[in-house]
Amino acid sequence: MTSAVTITRHGGTGGRTAVAARARQVVKAYGSGETRVVALDHVDVDIARGQFTAIMGPSGSGKSTLMHCLAGLDTVTGGKIYLDETEITGLKDKKLTQLRRDRIGFIFQAFNLLPTLNALENITLPMDIAGRKPDKAWLDRVVETVGLAGRLRHRPAQLSGGQQQRVAVARALAARPEIIFGDEPTGNLDSRAGAEVLGFLRRSVDELGQTIVMVTHDPVAASYADRVLYLADGRIVDEMYRPTADTVLDRMKDFDARGRTS
Amino acid sequence: MTVVKTSLRNFFAHKGRMALSAVAVLLSVAFVCGTLVFTDTMNTTFDKLFATTASDVTVSPKAAKPDDTPQNGKPESLPASTLTQVEKADGVKSAEGAVGSTAVTVVDHDNKNMGSSNGAPTIAGNWTKNDARSMEITSGHAPRGPTELMVDADTADKHHLELGDELRTISVAGDFKARIVGIATFKVTNPGAAIVFFDTPTAQRELLGATGRFTQIYVTAASGVGDAQLKQNVTRTLDGTYKIQTAKENADENRKDVGEFMNVIKYAMLGFAGIAFLVGIFLIINTFSMLVAQRTREIGLMRAIGSSRKQVNRSVLVEALLLGVIGSILGVAAGVGIAIGLMKLMSMAGMNLSTDDLTVKVTTPVAGVLLGVVVTVLAAYLPARRAGRVSPMAALRDAGTPADGRAGLLRGLIGLVLSAAGGFALYTAATADKATDGSLMLGAGVVLTLIGFVVIGPLLAGGVVRVISAVLLRAFGPVGRLAERNALRNPRRTGATGAALMIGLALVACLSVVGSSMVASATSELDKSVGADFIVQGNQRIVPQAEKAMQRSPGLAHVTRYKELKATLTSPDGRTDGSGVTAADPTYADDLRRATTAGTLSAAYGNDAMSVGSDYAKKHGVHVGDTLTVAFQGGETAKLKVAAITDDDTALDQGARYISIDTMRKYVPAGQVPPNTMMFAEAKDGEQEQAYAALKKVLDPYPQYQVRDQTDYKQELKDQVGQLLNMVYGLLALAIIVAVLGVVNTLALSVVERTREIGLMRAIGLSRRQLRRMIRMESVVIALFGALLGLGLGMGWGATAQKLLALEGLNVLDIPWPTITAVFIGSAFVGLFAALVPAFRAGRMNVLNAIATE
Repeated sequence: MTSAVTITRHGGTGGRTAVAARARQVVKAYGSGETRVVALDHVDVDIARGQFTAIMGPSGSGKSTLMHCLAGLDTVTGGKIYLDETEITGLKDKKLTQLRRDRIGFIFQAFNLLPTLNALENITLPMDIAGRKPDKAWLDRVVETVGLAGRLRHRPAQLSGGQQQRVAVARALAARPEIIFGDEPTGNLDSRAGAEVLGFLRRSVDELGQTIVMVTHDPVAASYADRVLYLADGRIVDEMYRPTADTVLDRMKDFDARGRTS
Repeated sequence: MTVVKTSLRNFFAHKGRMALSAVAVLLSVAFVCGTLVFTDTMNTTFDKLFATTASDVTVSPKAAKPDDTPQNGKPESLPASTLTQVEKADGVKSAEGAVGSTAVTVVDHDNKNMGSSNGAPTIAGNWTKNDARSMEITSGHAPRGPTELMVDADTADKHHLELGDELRTISVAGDFKARIVGIATFKVTNPGAAIVFFDTPTAQRELLGATGRFTQIYVTAASGVGDAQLKQNVTRTLDGTYKIQTAKENADENRKDVGEFMNVIKYAMLGFAGIAFLVGIFLIINTFSMLVAQRTREIGLMRAIGSSRKQVNRSVLVEALLLGVIGSILGVAAGVGIAIGLMKLMSMAGMNLSTDDLTVKVTTPVAGVLLGVVVTVLAAYLPARRAGRVSPMAALRDAGTPADGRAGLLRGLIGLVLSAAGGFALYTAATADKATDGSLMLGAGVVLTLIGFVVIGPLLAGGVVRVISAVLLRAFGPVGRLAERNALRNPRRTGATGAALMIGLALVACLSVVGSSMVASATSELDKSVGADFIVQGNQRIVPQAEKAMQRSPGLAHVTRYKELKATLTSPDGRTDGSGVTAADPTYADDLRRATTAGTLSAAYGNDAMSVGSDYAKKHGVHVGDTLTVAFQGGETAKLKVAAITDDDTALDQGARYISIDTMRKYVPAGQVPPNTMMFAEAKDGEQEQAYAALKKVLDPYPQYQVRDQTDYKQELKDQVGQLLNMVYGLLALAIIVAVLGVVNTLALSVVERTREIGLMRAIGLSRRQLRRMIRMESVVIALFGALLGLGLGMGWGATAQKLLALEGLNVLDIPWPTITAVFIGSAFVGLFAALVPAFRAGRMNVLNAIATE
């Protein structure tokens, strides 16, 4: 279940290997004894650099948990996770926070922005927190890519949902993280706004060489990815390269059917 | 019913968020109840004391007018023949003559004053059967003969006195020594008076300087005779005017004096409790506003499924009611604790109070709970109304707290109008030429500007927070900016939180300005007009033997006597004035340099001459050369020529009318000459230090008087004002504590409200430390906002008060910058402190859970 597609990076902080992040025998369990629930059951996965990976699966399959663990938001019960060559399992909160700040970008489903900051301030926030000056040329390019040039001084409340998500995408891109994680980034958007945001994510992979991992349950969203991983019961059960909405949907129907009969 | 159920559920679901509001209610109620219990207990103590010390009927000499008590420093007395008359009255079982005086000082062989240092009197008298009702001799025996005395057990304990120790009693009649032969213990609590007993002849001789006289007659009724009946009988028997009181009347009279004093304490303390309540209101308003804001969606849902506005409104008020009841009940309990604490504190200060007398009247818990509940519910009314106005649509809208957009114009306008009106009142007060009109204006100005600032606070918050942030937070980069934005996010909340702190600090600033102006004014006045090197005074008038000792002290160029005499003046316009005259040695003109508007001051000390103050001269049209008729109490009536008119624009001796001691002697017989109120002395050139030491040594046997040179005098003044201020600051601390709780509360609730945001920031890389710093800085900014407003407002009040009090001689405005600066910097630390727990809790939030929060 590994993949090694070699794509040279255009943007970002310069990668040395083809794998941006790895999970090895990752176990995540909640509770103990009778009430023990295993969310991730010895998962091995490689996230290819410069690719757009979608993680799919039914509710409770562990797809969000996997993403949270890969992103250093959640701790694992067992196994190891590497970001590039850095093992992040076992890092203390301080290091982990620094890692998220400097090497990872996030796009959440909703409430991505601080209401007190305007769009531009939100975009540069991770760099501000780190005390780094944003790369002006890069920032301009990112802002242009997501089409926000006219709205940089607006507060989140003055932006539509789609625009807010685009700001979130811009924020994730602006710091040139090694990897961007999206947690159903289009889940709250209508199909047009969703398509727009997914378009930007696709372009950032194609044009900027960004690595993106996105959790979604929407086959259309997954169809923007280079590769789709399917999770069920805490395990990776399948994967698909160059998906289309139809193939993804078919595959999901298969799983559903199997799930019902088993 | 559902309304109540929802309220109950909400209340207990959010009990953590209510906790600080409950503490605020608790503290305020506790202070009120503590005050009531404490003062009631004090009153009980005194009631018991007076009830046991009063005899069935007491006969005392009655002065024709209250002012006519003798001024010669000896208590008023009646002849022994009165006792014989009383004994003959019907229904008298027994009568005994008593001698008692409070114009005494008792010292031990080290010249240490045995009296209380907290204002309770020293009482010397003869040991009577009546005393034996309230005290029992627990050691030794009653005094017999001129060298024996008995002392009360509390005093003996306090000063480690034993049988056989020698004590010296100082009165106008002279000093005399006696040995302790007995110790008597009170059967009830004696709060603090030091008491010594002699046998009757000794008491008469040494306290009254006479034989066969008493200060009071204690009459005991025969069985079956009521006090009122006995009083009637005694009254009928006596010729001449006496004050005759039943036990109840006597106790009531004593109680009245104490009661008035206790009332002053009570209302002063209740005033501070009121301030704490006022501050607590802000805290409660903030809590409920935030709870309502956080629950907007929930309330919208309730409205959508059919709750009426009234029901929503009521459900919030029911929560407030619960909060008020719980906080108040706990507060009442804590109040009793506070009262006991105060009593312990008083005991440490040398006042005896027994917890046996602890008095909790029914009205105390009732008043406490009522006050707590009413204030809480009233404070929650506005937020409750806002809850009622939440539209059903709110249920459908995205979560998150709607911003307070409506603060706006109207609020600003009202605030401005109030502040302007207050400012105008303050200006009027500052320029008033009559103290009474001015103080009214000052009061109005203080209240109006305070309300004005509270109303306008949220609008000022924007500007002030930006300025403070520009100075302080910019250095902290993006975290500082986030803190600034958070403080600005809800101006109404920041305004109310800051306003709570503002109230306490405004009072601190105002009082510190007034206090420091008082010291500065007095110091400048002393520098300007006091020529005397040494000033001698005490809480007792200076007895002749101390005066003589002082005159014998080496190294003095002169010693000035200073006596206040009761006298009635009749001016040429025929009007009389009973405020007396001051008799002093001519050297007093050097000791206190008074400016004159006409004549020369030294001439006033000439034979049959006097001076008057400029106010009096103006009022009665008196000029230099006019003759005034002066009727001396206990002496003759003299015609004195006005030789000088002193300028009354001064703080010292304002309005005093001077005559010389020699002039006084011509008209007042030696037995009626009062002891000196104060005395002054001037050192010979170059012998200042030796003279000071010598004078102190000479007056060592008279510890009731303090000898001070100018430097020490100023220091003493400063210390006294400082002590007073510290006491007031201590009482204001309560209001400030409640305000600090308010800051903690606002931050804690803000952190809860921003959980998701905090999660997001942590996810994208804000470190715990940065997060905590952000919250701390927000807190500091809010605290400094309150401090800036409070200090500014308070200094304004203080300066106005000084301008107004300039009429009373408070001429110098002195702003105590060290204090003001310390308070300002202290506020920043208060902000840091207030943020400790909220910041800690925010730092510990689980990132994923925080993001997932609705």
